[in-house]
Amino acid sequence: MSLLLIIAAEGPAKEADNPILPVVPELFWSALTFAAFFLLIKFVLLPPVKRTMDLRAEAIRSDLDAAEAAKASASSAAGDVDDQLAGARAEAAAVIDAARSEAETERQSILAQANAEVAKMKELAEADLAAARSQAMDQVRPKVAELATSAASKAMDRTIDVEAARPIVDSYLSNSN
Amino acid sequence: MFALEFPSIDNLVKWPEYLFEGTFAGFNKISLILVLAMLIPTVLFLLAKRDLVPRGIQNIVESIVEFVENQIIMAAIGPEGMKYLPLLLSIFLFVFFGNIFEVIPTFQMPANARMANPLILAVVVWVTFIGAGIKAQGFGGFMKSSLVPPGTPAALLPLMMLIEFISTFLLRPFGLAVRLFANMLAGHILLVTFGVLCITLWTLSPLVVVLPFSFGMLVALTGFEMMVAFLQAFIFALLAAVYINLSIHAH
Repeated sequence: MSLLLIIAAEGPAKEADNPILPVVPELFWSALTFAAFFLLIKFVLLPPVKRTMDLRAEAIRSDLDAAEAAKASASSAAGDVDDQLAGARAEAAAVIDAARSEAETERQSILAQANAEVAKMKELAEADLAAARSQAMDQVRPKVAELATSAASKAMDRTIDVEAARPIVDSYLSNSN
Repeated sequence: MFALEFPSIDNLVKWPEYLFEGTFAGFNKISLILVLAMLIPTVLFLLAKRDLVPRGIQNIVESIVEFVENQIIMAAIGPEGMKYLPLLLSIFLFVFFGNIFEVIPTFQMPANARMANPLILAVVVWVTFIGAGIKAQGFGGFMKSSLVPPGTPAALLPLMMLIEFISTFLLRPFGLAVRLFANMLAGHILLVTFGVLCITLWTLSPLVVVLPFSFGMLVALTGFEMMVAFLQAFIFALLAAVYINLSIHAH
């Protein structure tokens, strides 16, 4: 059975040359089409494509540069914020220390003042107490003298002058304190 | 009964001329593929928008340009090689679209499975790297750096210069052209072989059970050829860049 391929259906060309060797018409068309294609690529087809690609590369580069600058700016701002924060913290610590020191001074002052007032009040109270005691003694003393004299008179069964015994009673009361 | 009738090589690679028959401009299937290999990327580039945020075809076009810039020029030459972007991009696209017709139904023939296109492109690369070398180092400097390896003893100079001349000025373009041509021709023959095998097995009832395996191989090899189409375009453009780099830099 005879078989022919689709690709071979058109049959062989006329020339019976070596099929490996190039033939002039194919050389001609090859040179013509490649030359035309090269000129089209060089002067018509490639330049706009390259221009677009270059524009895009430039836009990307520009965006990257802008992003880099923004990043550096943000980094710098963050550094500034950190510096300011550290300054504020230091300032706050100084204020706190100063306040603490002032408060301590104030406390010591108030404490000293209170102590002084307490001491003064204590002195006054003691003075009042002494005065009250003295006043009480003064009030009690005649009665005690009369009572003691009366008791002594009864015990001794003789009359003792109150006024004469008063110094003795006073001396006794004074010593008993 | 079980014979496999394989078409002759002429049936596989030679095509009749549709237009200008018998003239130097005879237009056949290879010529049509070459015109399409020029028109398809041209249309792609024209359809690509110019938005800062790329979408659709613009993405494809810019990816191709970036691929050539980064994977070919930057890898082989460096930033100074960017002036060769139009040439290397043209070579890459022209070779790729010339190759990919290998797997496009109704065409199923890579333009580079014929010697003409690889040869023309190799000559372009050859002229370019020689011109670039002379421009960068001057004629004497370029010839010296191309033909005289550093540290060569004086007695070996004639022999080394002959070897380097053949290697640099003859084998480089020849290797470029033959590598592309041979790879694409081999791939084409491989696909034809499995295509013929599938058709043959289809008509031979006892052996039709083997057909799925043969068809599977045909599908797999079609995918493989798509990869080869890209890979050969990449290798061709990369080697062109390497040769340019070797020319513009002295040893």
